Parts: sequence; C-alpha cells; structure tokens
Amino acid sequence: MNAISNPSSEPQNFDSLRLELRRGCLIVAVLAQLRVEHYGYTLRKALADQGLAIEESTLYPLLRRLETQGLLTSQWREEDKRNKRFYKLSPAGELILTQLLAEWNSINDSVNNILQHSKSEVIS
Amino acid sequence: MTANTTIDLLERYLQAIGDHLPAATRDDVLAELRANLQAQLDDRAEELNRPLTEPEVAAILKDHGRPVVVAARYLPQQYLIGPAIFPYYLMALRKATPIALIIFFLARCSSLFFVHTLTELIGGIAHAVGLLIPDFISFVFWFTVAFAIVEYVYTQNHAKPFGISWNPAKLPAVRPPHQGRSRAARIADLIFHCLWMLYFLAIPSHPYLILGPNEIVLHIFPIAFAPIWHTLYILIIIVLVLQLITKILALTPAFDRWQSALDLLTKLFGVASTAFLATIKTYFVATSPSANQAMLANLNYWANFSFRIILAIAVIDLLVGAWKLFRPALRAKSFAF
Repeated sequence: MNAISNPSSEPQNFDSLRLELRRGCLIVAVLAQLRVEHYGYTLRKALADQGLAIEESTLYPLLRRLETQGLLTSQWREEDKRNKRFYKLSPAGELILTQLLAEWNSINDSVNNILQHSKSEVIS
Repeated sequence: MTANTTIDLLERYLQAIGDHLPAATRDDVLAELRANLQAQLDDRAEELNRPLTEPEVAAILKDHGRPVVVAARYLPQQYLIGPAIFPYYLMALRKATPIALIIFFLARCSSLFFVHTLTELIGGIAHAVGLLIPDFISFVFWFTVAFAIVEYVYTQNHAKPFGISWNPAKLPAVRPPHQGRSRAARIADLIFHCLWMLYFLAIPSHPYLILGPNEIVLHIFPIAFAPIWHTLYILIIIVLVLQLITKILALTPAFDRWQSALDLLTKLFGVASTAFLATIKTYFVATSPSANQAMLANLNYWANFSFRIILAIAVIDLLVGAWKLFRPALRAKSFAF
C-alpha cells in the first residue's frame, strides 16, 4: 500500500511524529510537576501516575539541562539513608512556566478552533 | 540474589556509563543515577516483596538503556555542526568544493608544462584527475573542521542566530522557466574550460597538440609560425582567463542576469580576434632561403581563407546572441508604443 495514501500504516512515522509532539509537552509537564520538590525517580513516578510516562534516560538528563538553564534548582540531601538530588522549580522557571502555559493554552485553543472549523466545513 | 550482587551489577553498569562521560561531571552524574536506579530497584523489590533476582536487575538496567547511549544524553553537544549553522555549511561547501577542486587540479597540472612527450602529458593529467578524490576528502575534512570551530565559538558565546540580517530585495530575479542551466551543467562547463585552457597553454611546448601528425612539416620544411601568433596567443590567454572567472562566477545563480551579456562580450572579442587574424596575410614564414616560396604562399592563402570562413560563422553567432539578448527589450519597447 502506498505510504502517502495511508500514512498511519507506517508505525515508525507515527512514533516519530508522536515523539515530536510530546517533546515540548514533556518540558512543560516536568516544570509544572516540580512546583513540588522531587528527586529523579519520584518525579518520574509522579508523572507516570498522571499518565505521562517518560523514559529515565530522557528525564534525568533533561533535569540537569533545565537546571543549567536556570529553570530548576537542586540540592543533595539524605533521605532514607541515601543521598539524593532534589529538584525544584526556580523563580525563573516559574516565570517561564507561566509563559509556556499561556502559549500552550493559545495553541490548544487554536487547534480546537481549526478542528471545529474544518468539521463544520465538512458537514456543510 | 544477594544485595551485594545487585550492587555489583549496578556499579558495573554505572562504571560503563562513566567511561563515556567527561571527568568534570562524571562523579556527580553517576551519584545521581545511582540514587535513582537504587530507588527504582528498591521499589521493585518492595512490590515483589522479595529481593530481586539477577535477571530482574539486568532487565531494569537494560530498560534504562545502553551505557553509551545513556552517557551521550548527558553530553552538552552531540553534533559537530548544529542546525543553526548546518544550512550555511552545506551551502558554502557546495559552492566552494568545485572551485577548490579546480584549484587543486590546476596546481597539480602546472608541472605538466615541463613535460616533453604526449605520454607524459596524458599520464600527468590522469594522475591529477586521480588525485581529485583524496583532494576532495581532504578538502571536505578541513572545511568541516573549520565550521565545527565556528559552531563551537557560536555556541560558547551564545551569539545571535545566524542569517537574521538579510534583505529579500537582494534576492536574484526570477529565472525564466527551462532557461537556467543546471548546476551540474555549469560545473561541467567550468571543468571543460579548465581542460581547454590546459590544452591551449601546452601548445607552445607541444606543437603536435594543434598540428597533429603535420607537426613533422615544421621539421621537414624550413618554415615557422610568424611572430604575430605570439601576440595573438597572449590575447587569447587573457580571454580564456576572463572566461574562467565568469564561469566560476556563473556557479552562483545570482550571476545569471549578467551571463548572457558576458557571453555576448566574449563572442564580440572572439569576432574581433578572428577579424584580426583574417586581415593578416602571413601566418608562416620561411626560416631558410631554400624554402619553397610557392608552397609557403599557398599555405598562407589557405590559412587566410580558413580564418575568413571562421569569421563569417563567428559574426552570425554574434548576431544571433545579440538578437536573443536584446529581443525581450525590443519587444517591450514595441509594446510600449
């Protein structure tokens, strides 16, 4: 079957588009979740509990990158007799998160409008 | 499985990751990974209400990722040339490669002026052509290194994004459909011109290149080229060099608007040179009083006759070129009235 006539027949194509769609969303989710302090593993669990599973190998380096960008702060602290690195949203991160959420809502509204508009055009 | 075995497998995994991390951040990254993975292993053991078996630990670590891939995600930069600079790298590489190869080729061919036989000449050209492949690899390597340095400096200094200061008004005019030559055709044109130049430059030291087997005539009969050829030769070399410059410039589409005008100018110069040759009566001179004067006169006559025919063809070609160049302007003028 022709891939152009039926793109959904290509699972790899869907996976790559899904990955692209999720990439930006994950950062927003991580920043939002870190309004409450977490270390890597509990953050991953918290996100998974909310329905947003992220691979460890993606999440942990992302935390360090966001910290380097000044959006998170971190500190080593002992918990359950083990040293763990806890992350929290920084004031700069809070500001960025607010802006990102506004952008997120704007995109969401636009996509919904487009979908409704195209739906009504198809019906008429 | 004992706790020691779990820790041993985890430590081996972390060590393998650490082998691919920079020393400056290695301990910190590994300490954080250890804490996260240890918490995950503890969590799983708590779920199962028993210590984990070795295959279960291995499965969790395998799920976490291959050490080299995990380490790579902690590295600050995983490409030599990033997406901001890559389009400029590609554009510059495409433009510079043909020019660089021609320079390499000409530089290698420069030694051919000192060879004496046709075999040496052909062998030398074949050798220069063969060396174009290593030259190409070497050029691309150093070109990439230069751009990787630009990328590094750009990233380190958090410079402004590339290419924001450009002016749409400076874009080249829209090319008429099916009239622009492809880039491959332009490159081929340039290569053939270079070969033609080499051929022409080699003629004085290798007369057989133009006379072929008739070269023997110069040895058997006491005749030689008239001095006028030396003047003409220099003029032709100048034209060939000018043409070489225009052909290099023609590699950029922005040059298209000047191409037709310069082609016409070159044809005009060709007509002038041929006309100059057609007015001359003496192309060959006797080098000895014993030379056959009748044969010499005959030779000069037919040479003159040949140049007159060439002149007629060149004039027609010039007029056709001029008509093609000025026809759109003349047509627009006639419509305006």
